[in-house]
Amino acid sequence: MTTLRPFTCDDMYKFNNVNLDPLTETYGLSFYMQYLAHWPEYFQVAESPSGEIMGYIMGKAEGIGDNWHGHVTALTVSPYFRRLGLAASLMNFLEEVSEKKRTYFVDLFVRVSNKVAINMYKNLGYIVYRTVLEYYSGDPDEDAYDMRKACSRDTDKKSVVPLTHPVRPEEVD
Amino acid sequence: MSKAQSNNMHVLDTAVVERRLRPIYDWLDSGNNKKALQECDKVLKKAPNLHCAKALKALTLHRMGKGSESRVILEALTNEKPTDDATLQAMTLCYREMQELEKICRLYETAVRIDPTNEELHTHLFMSYVRISDFKLQQQSAMALYKLKPKNPYYCWAVMSIILQATRGEGCRDPLKRKLLLSLAERMFDKLLTENKIDAEQEVQLYVMILDLLGKQEEVVAVLDGPLGAKLQCTNFGLVKMTYLKKMQRWKDVNLICKSILAESADRWDIWKEYIHSVFELMYQQTQTSGQENSDGGDNIVETADDTPEKAHEFICRMVESGADNGYVLRGPFLARFQLCSRMSSRGMDTNDLFGDEIELFMEYFRKFGHKPCCVSDLRIFLNLLLTPKKTELSSRLMKDVGISATSVPQSEAQMQRHICAVQLSRLCGSHRDLSPEHLKALITALTLHYQHGYQTYGRGLLSTDLAPCDPYALLAAHLLYDLAQIEQKSDAVVVALALLERLLSNSPSNFHGKLLAVRLYHCLGGGTKALEMYSSLDVKHLQLDSLGYIHCARMMTTGLFTLCTNLFDATLKFFSSNYKDSSDHLTFSYKFGSFTKLDEFMDFRERMNNSLHYATVGVDRIVLKLVECMSLDTLYSITISPKEDKIEWNCLRDNHDLGVFLSWDPESIENAPEDWQESKALFEQDVRFLRLRTSILWTMAAAVDIVKSLDGDRQRHVEALRNALDQWKALHQKTLSDNFPPIQQNLLPLPMPSRLHGSLAAPYCPVFSSFLDFFLSMMGNDSHHTMECVKCIEEELDKLTDFLRDATIKKSNDLMARRKSLELAVNCVEIISITSLICVLCGELVKPVQVKKGKKKSCDTKNKEYVFSVADKLKKEMNNFCDILQDWIDANPEDHVFNMLESLNLNSTENILEKIHYSYKIANREMQLILKTKIKLLT
Ligand SMILES: CC(C)(COP(=O)(O)OP(=O)(O)OC[C@H]1O[C@@H](n2cnc3c(N)ncnc32)[C@H](O)[C@@H]1OP(=O)(O)O)[C@@H](O)C(=O)NCCC(=O)NCCS
Repeated sequence: MTTLRPFTCDDMYKFNNVNLDPLTETYGLSFYMQYLAHWPEYFQVAESPSGEIMGYIMGKAEGIGDNWHGHVTALTVSPYFRRLGLAASLMNFLEEVSEKKRTYFVDLFVRVSNKVAINMYKNLGYIVYRTVLEYYSGDPDEDAYDMRKACSRDTDKKSVVPLTHPVRPEEVD
Repeated sequence: MSKAQSNNMHVLDTAVVERRLRPIYDWLDSGNNKKALQECDKVLKKAPNLHCAKALKALTLHRMGKGSESRVILEALTNEKPTDDATLQAMTLCYREMQELEKICRLYETAVRIDPTNEELHTHLFMSYVRISDFKLQQQSAMALYKLKPKNPYYCWAVMSIILQATRGEGCRDPLKRKLLLSLAERMFDKLLTENKIDAEQEVQLYVMILDLLGKQEEVVAVLDGPLGAKLQCTNFGLVKMTYLKKMQRWKDVNLICKSILAESADRWDIWKEYIHSVFELMYQQTQTSGQENSDGGDNIVETADDTPEKAHEFICRMVESGADNGYVLRGPFLARFQLCSRMSSRGMDTNDLFGDEIELFMEYFRKFGHKPCCVSDLRIFLNLLLTPKKTELSSRLMKDVGISATSVPQSEAQMQRHICAVQLSRLCGSHRDLSPEHLKALITALTLHYQHGYQTYGRGLLSTDLAPCDPYALLAAHLLYDLAQIEQKSDAVVVALALLERLLSNSPSNFHGKLLAVRLYHCLGGGTKALEMYSSLDVKHLQLDSLGYIHCARMMTTGLFTLCTNLFDATLKFFSSNYKDSSDHLTFSYKFGSFTKLDEFMDFRERMNNSLHYATVGVDRIVLKLVECMSLDTLYSITISPKEDKIEWNCLRDNHDLGVFLSWDPESIENAPEDWQESKALFEQDVRFLRLRTSILWTMAAAVDIVKSLDGDRQRHVEALRNALDQWKALHQKTLSDNFPPIQQNLLPLPMPSRLHGSLAAPYCPVFSSFLDFFLSMMGNDSHHTMECVKCIEEELDKLTDFLRDATIKKSNDLMARRKSLELAVNCVEIISITSLICVLCGELVKPVQVKKGKKKSCDTKNKEYVFSVADKLKKEMNNFCDILQDWIDANPEDHVFNMLESLNLNSTENILEKIHYSYKIANREMQLILKTKIKLLT
């Protein structure tokens, strides 16, 4: 039961119920503003019938040549609205936008410890393309999976042939 | 050949320059300003005329707090009219940090004049106007740019600048002007159209925006349906179109579009709402045109518009039947029924034929979705379909349906979730209201046991980042304990609630709802150090400092933990000031990426943040705190006392609190969100008034300091300012007393604590300050008798103040909620006496012999000196009394009433809540005494 609509600045005043979750990062203001200004169509919020924020997705499109791709920067769903297919429909939305932009694939980074999310992405058709060592700084640093799903433009599914070796964060563009 | 050579020379040149400057940038980036300055000087020694090095030196000096030196360099540099990008960028950065955005415009105006064909400089000039929101100059510079380089984006910048003149500039107050400007924008756009130049999606969006503002909905729809519409690939096309169809009241089209969307995805709530709305509009139109048959119809249900609740109901039922979408049972159609029912009943229509007893709707929904936590949030907004007796009935039927009695426990996780939902819904139905303490206690015990059982049975093997499914039991029990404390008017139950929450958090360390509640409850008892500990674990940052500031930061000053306040205040103020600076960049992003639809939003957001009441309050608190902690005259002279550089825009202040972050199942939350409750609005008004009164302290103190600093000729002006400020304060104080604001209720947890206004009126701020300021003013006259009267007045006021402190603390109950109030008042007393001590110090300065004066005046000064001494003595005496009272107060240990209650709930936690809270009081007490002692020293 969702209203999907573009994320607005004022939503940042109300997204605490989602963002206080330990796996959801709260970024500096400029970060959100940059996404809102540059890729507003990729920043969507799911609202409940009573107007609460249930979750949101933030993404972008970038890359040149056959690296032109959609990217999921943040995806999160409030604990009380999980397992309702919300994340799946937000991802679906982002993939549709990417299709319209004719990208070759969609990718994202996820903590290797975030079993729930990894499992979900797999169920949505993503594969682990490569491991990025110590991508998340913290104590200790944590590796990330770079996960990918090919779009229809990538007819040969060239973008989703997994790498055999892990890479360092510097090697990721 | 030669051209290439010279180019090469140039490249070489810039490469050298760049290499030399690199270290400066690096030091600046890493925040090492001292090293940066050394490097600047080094470079300038070699190349004394290198503009960019000078600009960087100015920036460095500014960051080191050497504003005037920085300004000298900048001015000299401006006169040299630099045009190279690096220098201009560095100067821009510097002016930006100084918040002198106009100067950036002047800089680029000059540069463009010297190098008029430089596209980049023109772009910077345009952006500099964006930063100061000068829409007219924006328009001009964008057009100049377009003439230079006829690119569509530049043209669009100009058009957008015209739109802004219409909506936010001169057109905002003058409808005629607005129309004119918008028509101009339209004509400009038509030119692009006829030249067939429109290409990008953003350009079409801009066109739609113009037409929309002109009220030309027909045209918008035509655009959307035409070839331009095809360019809107990423815009949610259907939704945009619907907005306009609605404005044009084309309800039939709305209805049909909705139906076709819903047939595809039946879980779209926004579309269901529009659909049902259109049904009623159509019905209304029907009755207007006297019941013609709706005869256009195909066999396909999606092809006919529904114009009666019956037809809508049929459509909904079909959607229910068509059932699940990729495995999920969709809640959409079920909730649509509620929405339809609710719309009918608000129109006074009989719903019985269609829906039967409403309770059955709820029961059916609960049976389908009760195992999902969202069930409560889904049903909440519809509960008012039921009158009170029906709510009671629903509540007991839900509990019966779950099948858990007083003696049984859930047999599965799903049953537990259903039980939790049922309890939450029943609380929403009001079933926890008006219960006897015994009844409440029984409920609390049951829920606590359910929590413990649930954790043992279904809480194992969770990740530390998970919330346990049984956690809501503990949260509910904590809410009930708070209810109990309100009924008993005793803090015991709050302490128990905190023990329970601590237990919850040791099991589910990520449960932020538990943490938020704990912060709230610790503040309710004045336990600042524990509140801080909890708050820190929430990792509140960035914008949350504003939206969640009310929970902790805004309360800290009342806990007497001055040292801890400093960090919190500084972090908050830094966030606001640096983001306000950044926010002008955000506007430039919008132009850069052509997201014109976001501009209005960005501008509103910028104002919302800058006008935050919390921001203004923290700013004022920070200055008050500096005064309270001030230990020397030099320090006093160095404090910038005027709040927010005098720029509090009182009528624009905004309440940015996110009250919805607290879970609540109070019946009040059925109707609307806590932000919209009457109490929240009352609180806002009181908080604004509090801030006004508090700034009076600052205005008067600022004026007093100015008087002492000023020379004879200039002094009178400041004396007038002080008189004015004091008069205004007294008037405001009187008005506030007679307005007689009642403290907001405390029975609802999502509401913040009562305003600090009440404590600030109870403690004698205005009377004590007035007595001191009158005395201060009398120093400048020759009326010794009057001065003596003033001294007497001070003595009386100080006696009263000490009595007040005694009454407010040792003479009050030892219950922790009462102690919290006492603590707030004690802090206020300490504030009053320590800041008025500063006035006494200032008086001392006034009577210091500056030069030898004429006999008569001198004798008066000696007299005055004596008066000042006697006031200082009185202050010292009372501050010593304060210390004694505070010490006696802290020595009186509260008794432990809660042990039995904890025991009975199996919560005899290792963590002794009471002890920790008492520890917080002790630290606060020590800090207050420390402040007093340093002030005594200052006066000696
Ligand atoms: C990851 C997250 C976004 C999932 O949101 P969600 O709305 O609950 O996910 P959905 O309901 O759309 O789930 C889609 C599928 O993912 C899988 N899945 C999701 N949560 C799962 C869980 N807790 N356990 C097992 N599988 C799960 C399931 O296969 C599910 O389909 P199903 O319910 O039909 O079995 C949410 O848990 C979250 O916000 N986590 C914190 C933030 C985060 O980790 N974000 C990802 C960072 S890259």
